[in-house]
Amino acid sequence: MTATSSATPATRQPVNLRRSRARRRAGRFGTYLVAVLIGLFSVFPLFWMLLTSVKPRTEIVTRDPVFWPSSFAWDRYGDVLARGFTTYLANSLFIAVTVTLIGVLVAALAGYALARFDLPLKRYLLLVVLATQMFPVVVLLIPFFAVMRRLDLLDSYTGLIVTYMSFSIPLAIWILRGFFRGIPDELEDAALVDGCTRFGAMWRIVLPLAGPGIAACAIYVFIAAWNEFLFALTFTSSDAMRTLPVALQAFIGRDATDHGAIMAASTLFTLPVVVFFLFVHRRLTEGMANGAIKG
Amino acid sequence: MSTSPDTVGQRRGDSAAAPSGAARTGSGGGALTGPPTRRRRPRGPRLARLQRTFDRRLLPPLLLAPALLIIFGLVGYPVLRTFWLSFHDAGLAAMVSGEMAFVGIDNYVTIVTDAHYRRVFLVTAVFGLACVIGTMVLGVGVALLLNRPFRGRILLGVLVLLPWAMPRVAAATIWQWMFHDQYGVVNWLLTTLGMTQFEGFAWFISPLRAFVAIGVVVVWQSFPFVALSILAALQSIPTDVVEAARLDGATATQRLRHITLPMIKPVLVVMVIISTIWNFKVFDQVFIMTEGGPARSTEVLSIATWREAFTRLDFGLASALAIAMFLILTLVTVVYVRAIRDDEELR
Repeated sequence: MTATSSATPATRQPVNLRRSRARRRAGRFGTYLVAVLIGLFSVFPLFWMLLTSVKPRTEIVTRDPVFWPSSFAWDRYGDVLARGFTTYLANSLFIAVTVTLIGVLVAALAGYALARFDLPLKRYLLLVVLATQMFPVVVLLIPFFAVMRRLDLLDSYTGLIVTYMSFSIPLAIWILRGFFRGIPDELEDAALVDGCTRFGAMWRIVLPLAGPGIAACAIYVFIAAWNEFLFALTFTSSDAMRTLPVALQAFIGRDATDHGAIMAASTLFTLPVVVFFLFVHRRLTEGMANGAIKG
Repeated sequence: MSTSPDTVGQRRGDSAAAPSGAARTGSGGGALTGPPTRRRRPRGPRLARLQRTFDRRLLPPLLLAPALLIIFGLVGYPVLRTFWLSFHDAGLAAMVSGEMAFVGIDNYVTIVTDAHYRRVFLVTAVFGLACVIGTMVLGVGVALLLNRPFRGRILLGVLVLLPWAMPRVAAATIWQWMFHDQYGVVNWLLTTLGMTQFEGFAWFISPLRAFVAIGVVVVWQSFPFVALSILAALQSIPTDVVEAARLDGATATQRLRHITLPMIKPVLVVMVIISTIWNFKVFDQVFIMTEGGPARSTEVLSIATWREAFTRLDFGLASALAIAMFLILTLVTVVYVRAIRDDEELR
């Protein structure tokens, strides 16, 4: 990495005349080489997963990898879906969407309060909220399990939804707070002068302006819930309540030899998120940019 | 990713930033030319005073309440309960009968004296640290690369995001297949590149090899978040500062060391700490790729805790392990708090 960054950067106006054209070209070549390698490293496992899922069985288990199948075996997707994956997909989707909707709303209210008001002990409150994010998940797994059993929330949507929210809200508050701080106070002041209440000013002016931040935050919360494995594994016991990560893990254990089917299941699991990502990546990068700097 | 030069350096504060900010959100300038709300009748002075008092005194707690209720209402009790359990004999028999004997620090003595747990702590620390270094080097490197103008930059930006979008279970699964000793594409690639010792190389038979494989997966999934955040920080550096240094004859390495790195330090520190915490908590990838094996040699702290609690059903010992982990991470938290104390953001 250091090698490339010390190479000649391609500038709009060449300032340093000592640098020869050849060196600059070499630097640019280095940049592209590293870019291609990083791109391949990032995307190859996804490509390989997709490819394995549609290869004929004989071309999966080969000593020399087959990079393009002779024919496409799409039928695995039908098989996987027929094996209850639609239920798991629906479970995961319902839980992730609910967590995202409620979690982002709740975090937005708190994030606004922490961005705009002078509260006593605000600094400590912010740190304690962040500290909850630093708890190892396993720390809380054991007593959480006991609480959920007592509340009779094991093996239920509510149990998982509430649990996921308690973990994703802290970071969501921090991300959103950063965005709210980025919106100039003057806009709200103008609304207040015009007779808006503080809450009205927040609701009608700040929240709409923070759209990208809220989108980014929603993606973070959604992916966290969609991905969650440990709590779902521990809290659910019936097949009908399983979420995708748990189902996939069980699927892997049961069909350890059928790599094609496992990859088809993994693809079905990954695809919705990837499509979602490609769809919103501009907003996300914008959001990450603002959140990271000000959070 | 594509930050136009005019938005750089005026991200917040003065109203001059507002037009570019509004333009970026895509909501247009409507909100700026006048408040979108209807003008209301002026209130009576007493009502207005009440309103102001409500806004100042009651609104903030009301806004905070739901979040704090969910966070502390749920996380608070489990934390205290874990602490309490760690001083008790909470094996299966005790849990069933409901009578847990107070055993003092016995559980802690066990995890400190037991050779296996000493190994678990060591392995967790070394593995976590290696993953942090890998994540940071790759993340910062990719961020520096993406900060340079070259064709295909946006495409690369999208591609490096994909590992983050991939669910961890799916990622661990495909990588496990890629690391297969006989039919894995990793061994094929390494052998093809001339490293013949990788022909039929078994990645999961020894702890060191297994940790290398797991580490690759962990870093692969965690570098996008770091790269993206660092990139954001890099793009907030005003270009004229770097330009001025270049005119003064600073080499690229000098510019990196004396300008770029100091200016992104706050974000850099946050990323180091966050990735430390995430990598100490690694569970999914290890659970799926080795389940702590072979012979419990890849048992990191989170796996050991899970195993103690849900396989051996010794909740007391598991709680002690959990508290030990919390204490370690608290140390990190203290470092974190110190690091951002200078940051005036946290007023």
